[in-house]
Amino acid sequence: MTDVVATRPVPGTPRPYEFPPFRRDRLSNGLRLITVPLPGRPLVSASLVLANGVVDEPADEAGATVLAARALSEGTERYDAIALVEASERLGATLHAEAGWDATSAGVDVPAARLAPALELLAEMVARPTFPEAEVERLRDERLNDLLQARADPRRRADEAFVETVYARESPYHRPSGGTKETVARLDPRSLRAAYAQGVDPAAATLIIAGDLSGLDVPAIAERLFGSWAADARARRPGPLVDRTQVTSRFVRVIHRPGAVQTEIRIGHRGAPRRIPDFYPLAVMGAILGGLFNSRLNMKLREEKGYTYGANAGYDLRRGAGPFSARAAVNTAATVPAVVDFLGELNRIRDEPVGEDELRAARDFLVGVFPLRFETPGAVVGALANIVVHDLPDDELARYRPAIEAVTVREVELAARERIEPDRSAIVLVGDADAFGRELERAGFGPVVIERDEEPIAEGPAEGVEDEMGPAEVGDGR
Amino acid sequence: MSTPIVSFTDERLPNGLRLIIAADHLAPVAAVNIWYDVGSKHEVPGKTGFAHLFEHVMFQGSRNVGKAEHIALIQAAGGTMNGTTWLDRTNYFETMPSHQLELALWLEADRMGTLLEALSQENLDNQREVVKNEKRWSYDNRPYGSWNEKLQEHLFPPEHPYHHTTIGSMDDLNAASLEDVQQFFRTWYAPNNAVLAVVGDVEPDRVREWVRRYFGPIPANPKLPQIGDLSLPPSLGGEHREIVMDKVPLPRVYFGFRAPPFGDLRLDALDVAGQILAGGRGSRLHRRLVRDERIAQDIALFTLGFVGGASVTAGWATVRPGIEVARVEKAFAEEVERLGREPVSDDEMARARALVEADELGALQRVEERADRLAMYATLFDDPGLINRMLGRYLAVTPEAIRDVAATVLRPANRVVLTYLPELPPADSAIVAEPEEIDEEVAA
Repeated sequence: MTDVVATRPVPGTPRPYEFPPFRRDRLSNGLRLITVPLPGRPLVSASLVLANGVVDEPADEAGATVLAARALSEGTERYDAIALVEASERLGATLHAEAGWDATSAGVDVPAARLAPALELLAEMVARPTFPEAEVERLRDERLNDLLQARADPRRRADEAFVETVYARESPYHRPSGGTKETVARLDPRSLRAAYAQGVDPAAATLIIAGDLSGLDVPAIAERLFGSWAADARARRPGPLVDRTQVTSRFVRVIHRPGAVQTEIRIGHRGAPRRIPDFYPLAVMGAILGGLFNSRLNMKLREEKGYTYGANAGYDLRRGAGPFSARAAVNTAATVPAVVDFLGELNRIRDEPVGEDELRAARDFLVGVFPLRFETPGAVVGALANIVVHDLPDDELARYRPAIEAVTVREVELAARERIEPDRSAIVLVGDADAFGRELERAGFGPVVIERDEEPIAEGPAEGVEDEMGPAEVGDGR
Repeated sequence: MSTPIVSFTDERLPNGLRLIIAADHLAPVAAVNIWYDVGSKHEVPGKTGFAHLFEHVMFQGSRNVGKAEHIALIQAAGGTMNGTTWLDRTNYFETMPSHQLELALWLEADRMGTLLEALSQENLDNQREVVKNEKRWSYDNRPYGSWNEKLQEHLFPPEHPYHHTTIGSMDDLNAASLEDVQQFFRTWYAPNNAVLAVVGDVEPDRVREWVRRYFGPIPANPKLPQIGDLSLPPSLGGEHREIVMDKVPLPRVYFGFRAPPFGDLRLDALDVAGQILAGGRGSRLHRRLVRDERIAQDIALFTLGFVGGASVTAGWATVRPGIEVARVEKAFAEEVERLGREPVSDDEMARARALVEADELGALQRVEERADRLAMYATLFDDPGLINRMLGRYLAVTPEAIRDVAATVLRPANRVVLTYLPELPPADSAIVAEPEEIDEEVAA
């Protein structure tokens, strides 16, 4: 028998760690600048965060904000799309722009030595986009095709069906952030310009730059390139937001896919906004329920039952109350038993206090993994962008670990009771209803609605290139 | 500009375990990455999917660690971890706050030394079901999900172990017995078949001490089997074509080419060719098919490097509604074949090099990536120093080298074409035209 050491090692002394210190400046036009020196990180990340998010667009032009962000790099006053991409490639720079629910961000990743010329391209892109008609038309058609693919893909179909089930029709959260077939079809350069213009206000925007900035006078570079960027008359600050749910009691909605070998399960309800007093207890509770690998859901559905490659749950914390969802793809025969287990765990975390050991493991993970999350400039910029978007105090990241450390069993229990609602959950299933429909009716989860898609189009690709390569390389499900 | 040099030490324990240490104290983070020289290429017919199923078993406990406790301990220590299986390897890795490094080393040693003591039929059965659900999720219930399986079947002959995928077949997974798993472990999970890389905020002498203490007692396997000769003819010797009916809304054409083995200089040129053809919105395929002609929804082309005889260059184009599939296939083929005739311009080369360089800088910023690369280059090429030379190799690729490799690899007689068509045509369906004849014998 191999004579290995049986004694578990004890941890050494933690090296002190703080979230990287950053500096704030303000340009002459009011644009806020955050610089984060990260010595030894030669690939610099820069991101301009604008205040216009998807929630701020008119419902009948849903998708305009996302498409406008995508169209930023499709042409500016000085460059057409190809000239702009070639100019950035010559610098080894990647220009990008994307819109989310609460903000739009445009950024560039570039080796430090070429930061200034890359920022010049970024400034050109955000200050002088032209939204050329032909390119907008192409992007719109690509989005429509993507929606066709999404409708046919089990994962995306389940995600979209879930939010449209949970949120009231007048809430932007009812629809995908990229808009629907009906709204996208009517988008044109005018609607994109209008959506983008809402965010064009230096006084409401922040430029964040992180990386090895030694020898660079970043405030001076930023002033030269962004200091004359002017507000658009149509710019406006985010207004009130509807995040109302339409679910009053539990029910099941099934989207029938004949012959599907797995059922995509989504169970949940309207969740919570980012700015809540119980943010830290919620984070710990979420980790225990469905965030950690050893979460209750994954241990039950994967490690005990073998129903799935992975089960998890979490909150999408937005300016409004984004969704809470518990999720898994299970083999068809396990559909109803899996829902039973999901509901069992959603109830258990409300009904019984979590164990001290569970609490400690979750807290220790969230605290311990904190430095690992911020190894790269891109991750540091992302965390600061989150602070900017949600208007959180500058010491938010510094306070994170002590605040998590202080979370108690009682606080976790309160968070679960307040923010997990098994009896007001929508249960959305995308799978072969002929295989489990009768069992589902008998299970007593609530009223069951089975939809058989009128359009006989099936599955389409959910993700981009990277994900397509995923299945080739198999991991253990993390 | 130059890539930061990764300085490392490279040594072996008496039991054959290769230990590579690279200290870097930028962040209080340390990465452990252990590569076992065993992958799906070591599987025999009837036992496909085994290396990967085994990887799952490695998280089910060992003498001093309970089921799933490995992961629980790593997470409670504030670390992250995973394992992956691929044609040429299986690897396990942890990224830890640096003061918790010793725990990761102890855990890896415990399972390398004593896994079988904890193995039970119940745990095997559980993970078999998990893996079957992984296969359903990644392949069977995913649009176009069979492309990888099909490309491998066409590109490699049945007697070659790259003929089958890493996930394996449902039948073989169902047939896997406890005895199979035990035999697999005894054969391959030995210190002399592993490379351990430790990177980041570490003191090398402490690491050596820990590694000797924890891994030192594990005996070598003196009878490691040698894998047979996996060499292959450089070309497929004819075009293979297959039409696949699937539950997809848009047709998609996949291309697969048999490419030189990983490590071959020609593969460096093929990687740069991939950047020029499909690396982002400035690339040739994107520009022509997506932007200018608007016949494709998206395109891709990349090379997966394998050491056992040949690599795979794979690509695809998703056909826009109302467009003839054959037109998209033709445009795609024209672009890749043009690269084999006309040398790339200086400006295009300069752009590709700048992007390759930035990618490399970005990747090497993470300790996890550095540990993975050191272990990979040591395992596959006995040369961890490649981590510092690959960028130079990419930058040295010439337009002529790209032309030459494109001319040999990216040609009709060396390719597989898979055409995915909707089982039920959408309203404004594409009309499928007959593909143009290829003037070489059609295999398969």
